Amino acid sequence: MGTDQTGRPPLERVPTGVPGLDTILRGGVLRGGLFIIQGSPGAGKTILGNQICFRHVANGGRALYVTLLAENHARMLLHIGQLGFFEETVIPDRLYYISAFRVLEGDGLAGVLDLLRREVQSHDASVLIIDGLSAVEDTAASTREFKKFIHQLQAQAAVANCTMFLLTGAKPVSAEHTLVDGVIDLQTRLHGRRAERSLQVHKLRGSGYMRGEHSFRITGDGIIVYPCIEALLADPSAVDRVTGRPVGTGLARLDSIMGGGFPHHSTAVLIGPPGIGKTTLGLHFLSQCNEHNRGLHFGFYETPAAISDKARALGLPLEHLIEKGHVEVIWQPTTEGLLDEACHRLVDTVRSRGVRRLFIDGLQGFERLATDRERLGHIFAAFSNEFRALGVSTLYTSESDLIGSVSGLPLSGLSLQGVSCIAEIILVMRYVELRSELHRMISVLKVRDSDINSALHKFTINNKSGIVIEPDSTGAEKILAQAARQGGDLGPTTALGTGHGGEA
Amino acid sequence: MALILVVDDEFSVAEVLQSVLADAGHEVVTAINGRQGLERLRERPPDLVLLDFMMPIMDGPAMLKALREDPAHRDTPAVVMSSLPESVIAEAAKGMYAAFLRKPFKLHTVVEVVNAVIDRDAATRE
Repeated sequence: MGTDQTGRPPLERVPTGVPGLDTILRGGVLRGGLFIIQGSPGAGKTILGNQICFRHVANGGRALYVTLLAENHARMLLHIGQLGFFEETVIPDRLYYISAFRVLEGDGLAGVLDLLRREVQSHDASVLIIDGLSAVEDTAASTREFKKFIHQLQAQAAVANCTMFLLTGAKPVSAEHTLVDGVIDLQTRLHGRRAERSLQVHKLRGSGYMRGEHSFRITGDGIIVYPCIEALLADPSAVDRVTGRPVGTGLARLDSIMGGGFPHHSTAVLIGPPGIGKTTLGLHFLSQCNEHNRGLHFGFYETPAAISDKARALGLPLEHLIEKGHVEVIWQPTTEGLLDEACHRLVDTVRSRGVRRLFIDGLQGFERLATDRERLGHIFAAFSNEFRALGVSTLYTSESDLIGSVSGLPLSGLSLQGVSCIAEIILVMRYVELRSELHRMISVLKVRDSDINSALHKFTINNKSGIVIEPDSTGAEKILAQAARQGGDLGPTTALGTGHGGEA
Repeated sequence: MALILVVDDEFSVAEVLQSVLADAGHEVVTAINGRQGLERLRERPPDLVLLDFMMPIMDGPAMLKALREDPAHRDTPAVVMSSLPESVIAEAAKGMYAAFLRKPFKLHTVVEVVNAVIDRDAATRE
């Protein structure tokens, strides 16, 4: 047996086997401990209890599920049987279901304790679930008797080295909370009309754990918990390698304006109004991928098929790179997703595929998923640190509401709150209106530790080669001068709306 | 009318079965595990035992085994109930029960199966 830094043997843990939960619990709960899982009706306690049993059994353990005043076994197994973790063949040999309610009615708390001791022993159970602790509390003649029951159960758990979980209704801190080794709270919160499930560990004796609320979902495979992403990424998983050659954007002119391209493993934000070409620039960026530099398009509004169509129409070789597996396109709709689920999907894909070029289209997608927008700044900062450490060059898009900007104030009307702290590079695309035509302009606003040419450059988008940036700012200056002479529009003009539809 | 012993640890199941079988004209006694079931059976021999498979203290197969080893009750017909498939029950209690009911079941099915087993047992005895 190994030892920890103090030289003492580490406390042995039992993984719950529930995706994400063991990360929050730093590996699982302590073997032979007594834990409360609480939540209001429908919170997912019974599913969680069963999932823990089936996973424990799948890892070679034995489990006993005891109900008190709860759903009857036949109904419960009918429901649980629909979930991916259910495996009928482990019942009854490795997982056994009994009811203790009639014993509770007939013989009281002492009878239940006696029954549990015998059954844990006879089934050699290393995990025990007691579903319906409130029935014990209701039967107890006094708080003292109930506390004594919990205390004796804890002693049984320790002696038998059997990890026990008590499922009960949601309640504030009460007597049993002080006695048990840990409390896991399942909640459902309403955000407008949207209900979001969350899990919180209130206590875990003898162990650290991830504090705060963590989103979870009940899926066809059971419960999946998404640990709070900014807490999970608080420390980057690798050491940051800060030196290296610039990373090409896929547009030689833009690289030249920036002094060679994006700095090594940096985060760039491209800001611009709808339809101006932000996604197109992202497709140029991904078109530089190969088998050694894999790419990921993580978008909220366009399906993989739409992205392939767009790249094909622009003459960019993205479809070929997707077919070869050098680029992956993930579409994350904002209609029903959870913020942390989307973030985990992104980070997991970057890690598992060894992504080097990441295009996230766009920042507002995260905002739509967020029930607490104050988290976003922390999440983007955590992304930047993690992706940089993983050697990823990241390009985000962010949509501005306005068609143009005020002369002399190029970013007027654009919200940059929270952007500058995550981005080493800020690129701005804007329209300039002259007579009846809208002209596209791009400028580089910021590049970390670099001398940059921040002049506006005119660009066009054509069907053969995508974005074409003019070699210098002569064209842009000419348009701007003409626009100024005609009293043309450099002001905060027509809003194009805040929609997030497809772009050119 | 027959005397039926219902053995099930689940309060809700035993209560419902007691009512349904009583409505069908039978007398019902209940027990919460196999051991208590054997005690009831020896106090007052039933015409049929309707028993659950998974129970604390003594499970269904253990009770059936004890029943079949007791000369006084070895011929008492038994119907096993379980949420598990019959293949599991057949493996654990082969040749020791007359019929199987998979939970959750329709209540009229319980009455039909119980009556059919009682009738068949009566016909065999004649």
